[in-house]
Amino acid sequence: MIAAPDLRVDLGDLPLRNPVMPASGCFGPELGDLIDINRLGAMVTKTVFAEPRSGNRAHRLAETYAGMLNSVGIPSRGARAFIAELLPRYRNWSPPLIVSIGGLTVGAYLEIAERLTRVAGIAAFEVNVSCPNLEAGGLEIGAEPQVVEAVVRGVKERVEVPVFVKLTPNVTSIAAIARAAETGGASAITAVNALMGMAVDWRTRRPRTGTAMAGFTGPAIKPVALRCVWQAAQAVAIPVIGVGGIATVDDVLEFILAGATAVQIGSATFTRPDTMVRIIAALEARLSDEGVVSVRELIGALRTDSPSATVPMQAG
Amino acid sequence: MVGASAGATGSLPRLARLPETGPSAPRVAPPALLEAAVVTHGLIAPEYWRLVLDAPAIARTVEPGQFAMLTVARGEESWPVLPRPMAIYGWDRAGGRIEIVYRVVGEGTRRLTRWSCGDRIVTVGPLGRGFVLLPAAQRIVLLGRGIGTCSLTALAGVAAARGIAVHALVSARHSDALVGGEAYRAAGAVEVREVVDTDGSSGVGPVGAWLAENCRTGVDQIYACGSDRLLRLALEMARATGTGVQVSLEAHMACGLGFCHGCATGHPGLVEESPLVCRDGPVFRHLPSAPVA
Repeated sequence: MIAAPDLRVDLGDLPLRNPVMPASGCFGPELGDLIDINRLGAMVTKTVFAEPRSGNRAHRLAETYAGMLNSVGIPSRGARAFIAELLPRYRNWSPPLIVSIGGLTVGAYLEIAERLTRVAGIAAFEVNVSCPNLEAGGLEIGAEPQVVEAVVRGVKERVEVPVFVKLTPNVTSIAAIARAAETGGASAITAVNALMGMAVDWRTRRPRTGTAMAGFTGPAIKPVALRCVWQAAQAVAIPVIGVGGIATVDDVLEFILAGATAVQIGSATFTRPDTMVRIIAALEARLSDEGVVSVRELIGALRTDSPSATVPMQAG
Repeated sequence: MVGASAGATGSLPRLARLPETGPSAPRVAPPALLEAAVVTHGLIAPEYWRLVLDAPAIARTVEPGQFAMLTVARGEESWPVLPRPMAIYGWDRAGGRIEIVYRVVGEGTRRLTRWSCGDRIVTVGPLGRGFVLLPAAQRIVLLGRGIGTCSLTALAGVAAARGIAVHALVSARHSDALVGGEAYRAAGAVEVREVVDTDGSSGVGPVGAWLAENCRTGVDQIYACGSDRLLRLALEMARATGTGVQVSLEAHMACGLGFCHGCATGHPGLVEESPLVCRDGPVFRHLPSAPVA
């Protein structure tokens, strides 16, 4: 009997039983009615803000070619309701809980960190820096290395669990932002958040989402996300969590080869609510078929040497 | 609650969740995820399709006004990404089947038409909080337009079985788009009034007069879906007579369960998020003048 492949990975000080977890905003306790959440590598909450916020107006969703747009706008019931009502619901399951936090100013990130520090049941924080920075004319918090570094350092100083940073792809140099997060003290980097996109209904002459611009996710963004993971993994020594358009076990293996230690599943959970647990089962089977003892062997194992050195040229 | 496309709800009066407990609370069972086999699937009118699914876990607990999420992507395909919310038109609890009637309005519903008998569709349901029949109700009015009627048909059957007199209005652009009348008659509705735009019978005048006449003789609750215009008529009547109104809303959805927050009824500027169509609805009661109970 061949031993089952080892799916365990470590995100800094946080060990996971397997590398598959949900993307923030694409998961909630409600999924417990449909899938076995205990199978997941980790749980990730929707982004929590210090104070309640309502999110954007309807319509918040639009289907696009091989993807989707959302202009949900991160509604949050605030830290108090999160601690009192949402957090206890996650205690029904054993995977570590990663709490996504957000803010519209550097100070707001520090405030939510302070309010959630030493709250039982939080294994790590994922700092969502894809929020508009009200102190910089709405430019994303995550677009400037020095702001990212300040946010991460401030959060890190205030909490006692690992801090991850979820990067926005809407930047000139993802490597520079990743390095800033690492310098600030991040234990891991999540790459990447939604691309900025847009859909127009020419008949009504209106955008198809309530806000003209919206977050673009789904299989269509996978090549961009894969490239971001690759660049981030080249730039930093801390682990990278890959996210963006992952829908199959093949996608997961591609991200791991490109440098991801773990992966998050987002839009694909909407398409099929059991996507994560199916992928975990398929990953075990696939590694077993390939004779891979541990998934850790594949992290960053992408070969970029010239294949022509080993593969003969085709005639003709 | 209707599938696919959605009308703006921002201009409507304030709507509230139905009660959590008591006789006016909807019955809600946990949803199930299943690969439902297609039993029957075919065109029933231009643009309108009828789909029967073998879905015992949904048929067992579904209540009128609830919906299901149907994955459009087939087999191993990973897109279309978003599943489509569909009102559950009817069901056979013993036979384990649910029936859906949908209108082809875009790429997602166009792709749905390609499913054939024996195919398995990833389906989640029953979802949402459906319509409530008040314990003492004797007479109710159902107002549905177009595909919106499809979330009301099951209510007619349950109501009629309880001895409640059902008066149903079926409104559509033209006679080909009249769906649900047959289901209402089969359910035992005492009156089915079919009105269309093409001959003017669906206008606010004649429909308002019909509704007023019904309410004059006593109506315990008005149920509406599929038309802001019909809902406004219902609300006018509610103000005049104190009759309660329940309305089923539609929205684009991603999860159907409440965690994605894609279907908020949505007014900007509120600190508290407005209700979610999937989790808090799709059926809401009108506030403040017409409490349900």
